[in-house]
Amino acid sequence: MPWVAGWATCSAGVDVATAQASAVQDLIDVFGRLPGIGPKSAQRIAYHLLKADAEESRRLAAAVVAAKERVGFCSRCFNLSETEICALCTDERRDTHVLCVVEEPRDVIAVERTREYKGRYHVLGGAIDHLQGVGPEQLKIRELLARVDAENITEVIICTNPNLEGEATALYLGRVLSVPGLTVSRIASGLPVGGDLEYADELTLGRALEGRRTVDHPAPAD
Amino acid sequence: MQLLELWLTDFRSHESVHLECPSGLSAFVGANGMGKSNLLEAIGYLATLSSFRGVPGDALIRSGADTAVVRARVISDDREHLVEAEIVRGRPNRVLVDRQRLRRTRDLLGTLRVSVFSPDDLSLVKGSPGLRRDYLDDLAVSLHPRNDAVRSDWEKALRQRNALLKQVAGRLDDSAGLTLDVWDSKAAQAGTRLMEIRRTLIERLATSVETAYQQLSGSQQRVDLVYEPSCADDLLETLRSEREVDIRRRLTTLGPHRDELRITLDGMPSRTHCSQGEQRCLALSLRLAGHREVAREVGTAPVLLLDDVFSELDPSRCEALVRALPEGQSFLTAASGLPESVHPDRVIQVTREGLVERAGAN
Repeated sequence: MPWVAGWATCSAGVDVATAQASAVQDLIDVFGRLPGIGPKSAQRIAYHLLKADAEESRRLAAAVVAAKERVGFCSRCFNLSETEICALCTDERRDTHVLCVVEEPRDVIAVERTREYKGRYHVLGGAIDHLQGVGPEQLKIRELLARVDAENITEVIICTNPNLEGEATALYLGRVLSVPGLTVSRIASGLPVGGDLEYADELTLGRALEGRRTVDHPAPAD
Repeated sequence: MQLLELWLTDFRSHESVHLECPSGLSAFVGANGMGKSNLLEAIGYLATLSSFRGVPGDALIRSGADTAVVRARVISDDREHLVEAEIVRGRPNRVLVDRQRLRRTRDLLGTLRVSVFSPDDLSLVKGSPGLRRDYLDDLAVSLHPRNDAVRSDWEKALRQRNALLKQVAGRLDDSAGLTLDVWDSKAAQAGTRLMEIRRTLIERLATSVETAYQQLSGSQQRVDLVYEPSCADDLLETLRSEREVDIRRRLTTLGPHRDELRITLDGMPSRTHCSQGEQRCLALSLRLAGHREVAREVGTAPVLLLDDVFSELDPSRCEALVRALPEGQSFLTAASGLPESVHPDRVIQVTREGLVERAGAN
């Protein structure tokens, strides 16, 4: 048969639990609970650590404990920070009147990587999702409104994810932020740069069509 | 659209199956409980990633196994593809097309198309409105796979709105009111499009269902399909005006999830005023019309899966159905012999030991 099984089938005759020391199984279980790590990867990491120097394990354990002890949330923007106020909030070179609102701390990193944005951030800590028990009260929205008031913010850019929950959160923010003198914008969604039109899925392409812009007329040559 | 070869591993009762699938009509015969319908179910699974018997994925995995795999070579859009689906207990399924993992399983829809006829179809006519809504929405997705996004957006927004209505427990403060505004607008956006999709589809189906019914029944009776939305055209307005009721009842009372597709035969409501035979014939007509519409839209006929449909029909209806079935690849199951009018190109005996092709098809 030319079509070899696409997946290895798990049909080992031995009972896996008894073939493995229980401390090893505990370690695999701990790794397996981490996001993005399946049972196979968890096992690989556990076996790697057991094979490597004891020093490596000690370093890993120390790094986890130290990070957990030292890192908290910035009391202003709720990004991850080792200090009361994070480095982005205290950076004097940044525009103090513009706020970029994101769902999670990792989204700050994503926006920062663009090097396009020079203002400050506000991390909501999620998006409105009543099925998970997250309403506007569970997000840092009250804190956002207070900041807009106290910090003389003139523009808020809403960078929540382009899914249903993120869009709903953006709509909600648009409503509560309708203050005179404040510009509220939503990042555009559409095609990835450098991609081909023919590979775009209909949803993305549809959105891109909705958000189309007129082409600037080139300045006539004198 | 054609299935060339099918492999099953630990799918339902089948530990390991390999089946070559020529074009034309193949019949699976054998005693009850041998897994004839499971074979059709597996083919259907590759098309929709769900069971047409309405059971969760876990139920498709052979008891004692952790993973079921369905794999097939198919011809779609004049090209050959290898489609593989892996169903793992307690985890999302994985889908590969030509060895490439699909980023979203939704992207599979349309690679293999099937039309399923089963004895349960009777409930399309006799059962609750939800079954008719599912019939419409499933068909809309078969016609245009992108409709799936509209349907799932609506379902998600509705679930969020209902969750909020439960949380406010009958009393709405300002903040919750604002959040409800947001979900009203999101739900209305997707819901309005879903209602448009259903309305257009019903218009398109109306004559097609009537033609199918007259062919199958040999009568000249009139069949009408009427879309009865639960709310007026403006869904957003409805959600707003029903807000007080919704808050009290802690759920969304009106919307596309309460729509009805009314089917009448010579002006009489089919659900209450038709005989069992007429209802069965109407159900077949709905399926047949859907099959023809998809064939017309896509350009090739979907693979037909006929699960034990002949056992419920009298010989003349059987013959009419066989004559009305379009050309194309078909698979059928039968427990108690085949009706005389059915002439399969090959007959496969399904036994506990495996599949055996039976010589001398009738």
